[in-house]
Amino acid sequence: MQELKKVLEGHVFFRDMENRYLQTLSAGACQVHFERGEELFREGDEANYFYLLLSGKVALFLPSYHTVPLEILTLGEGEILGWSWLFSPYRWKLTAIAQEVTRAISLDGKFVREKCEEEHDLGYELMKRFAHVIDSRLEALSLHLVEVT
Amino acid sequence: MKIQSLQNDLADHPFFAGMSDRHLELIAGCASNVRLELGQMIFREGEDAQQFYLIRQGKVALQMFSERRGPLTILTVGEGEVLGWSWLFPPYRWKFAARTLEPTHAIAIQGQCLRTKADSDHDLGYELLRRFVHVVEDRLDATRLQIVNVYQDR
Repeated sequence: MQELKKVLEGHVFFRDMENRYLQTLSAGACQVHFERGEELFREGDEANYFYLLLSGKVALFLPSYHTVPLEILTLGEGEILGWSWLFSPYRWKLTAIAQEVTRAISLDGKFVREKCEEEHDLGYELMKRFAHVIDSRLEALSLHLVEVT
Repeated sequence: MKIQSLQNDLADHPFFAGMSDRHLELIAGCASNVRLELGQMIFREGEDAQQFYLIRQGKVALQMFSERRGPLTILTVGEGEVLGWSWLFPPYRWKFAARTLEPTHAIAIQGQCLRTKADSDHDLGYELLRRFVHVVEDRLDATRLQIVNVYQDR
């Protein structure tokens, strides 16, 4: 667990996060590994985790409406993936597939939700970070929309 | 009296559904009612993001600038919705422009005022940010759908 806490501490998403919060979160964390072509999650499935990418590459796909799903974004080291566990109905809206061998930390969404509810100091810190990440994603997608419109 | 009636207006807005009276009172201290005329530019891309708006009535277009096509409306926001969160993060600048499509009534909330309160009261901060995360996520979904539609129409 100490080792996991160190890894969390080293990830950009948790930069400057207080030690005691990292300690709390590391209890819901796990090191995971995906082979090239392996799915991290699939659209419609229950969203139980989020991932901090340590190395490798993951592509996000929109639900397929043609024969080929549409890739909208590729994420790599230092990035974070997934927040559908934050809100009901807790289901993935996209499909994520590893494009290379990928190492990540997975965090248990339900566990994190509960901790945030119990401890609003942690909740505030974490929500600020998620708001920022989702806002950046929105900006990227909006620019993409402007380009293709 | 003024603050009390503002607090009621805030309580009536869906964005603050379920927010405690104590928090609404804190927020009301940063809020004011505003009327925006038809066609009014509320903010422009790149400007300082000093406040956000809870729309009570009316309609606002969010626009981005396209090299090819000029200002492009990427989303409209109406009654019961919230407009703007760039005041939450440095560099506190708008990434979109907003212009009214109808005469609009809104509650304007000063960003720095609320940030300061959220920083010193994390219960308030958590409640607030949770709501914003949800709104930003909804906008992300809407934008994603628009992209799907663009590709589908091809």
